[in-house]
Amino acid sequence: MTGLWALVAVLVAVGATGLLLRAREGRIRTSAAPVATGPALPGPVRAALHPDDPVTLVQLSTTFCTPCRQTRVLLADLAGRTEGLHHVDLDVTSMPEVARELGVLRTPTTLALSSSGAEILRVGGVPRREALLAALAGHLPATNG
Amino acid sequence: MVKDAPVDPRGPRFTACMTSAVLVVVLLTGWWPLLAVQALVFAASGFVSLGLNPWSHVYRLAVRPRLGPTSEREDAAPLRFAQGVGFAFALVGTVGYATGLSGVGVVATSFALVAALLNAAFAFCLGCETYLLLRRFAPAPVRPN
Repeated sequence: MTGLWALVAVLVAVGATGLLLRAREGRIRTSAAPVATGPALPGPVRAALHPDDPVTLVQLSTTFCTPCRQTRVLLADLAGRTEGLHHVDLDVTSMPEVARELGVLRTPTTLALSSSGAEILRVGGVPRREALLAALAGHLPATNG
Repeated sequence: MVKDAPVDPRGPRFTACMTSAVLVVVLLTGWWPLLAVQALVFAASGFVSLGLNPWSHVYRLAVRPRLGPTSEREDAAPLRFAQGVGFAFALVGTVGYATGLSGVGVVATSFALVAALLNAAFAFCLGCETYLLLRRFAPAPVRPN
């Protein structure tokens, strides 16, 4: 009998979590107070910033992440076609402290950073191409699209 | 330890469905020897090779021929990670049921079922959502590989 109630609870939890995850996937967040910025960025992230391109997408990935590969393909393609946009995939499997310092709890998470390291926005999960471009439009050269 | 080649992503979804069915039976009947067998399957496919999971063979022999080929491939590491987490819950659940702490058994089995059902229904990536969390709260390396 306990098992039956547990099963009902499991089904409710799975339904709610599934809908929550789906709603959260690819959502763009612009943080009012970024966790770390500019000189305070973790070393590997600061090193990944492109000196000339106004926006660098720093994708945080781990080995244990299935959609990270898909995100890498999408963002590499987007950066290749978009002037002023640079993409770096950073594997934090063996350096979780980088994720901690940035307040990142899941992968893939993509941070859009300015060349000085200021956080413009971040995306959890596989980004949606058009929405991401639209959100970055004000930071990229006007020649795009 | 075997390094698994990338797999047809529909295989793990099928495995997750079958695993869910097994865990539902365990919850409803409290028959812990079945959970013990499931724990062994989790351990073999998580820590040795995905090829040791019997459901992957059922998929290959009986299901894939009906679905037709796909060029999509998914990395094995996230799947191995999820099987390892499943093992932890199944082990705790088995010990709980077998020692008369059926509450522990029910709760641990429920968690394993939540993960398996989310995977089956929503392509949930357990490694994406939990690896960084585990590393944050358990600084001692969690290295399934």
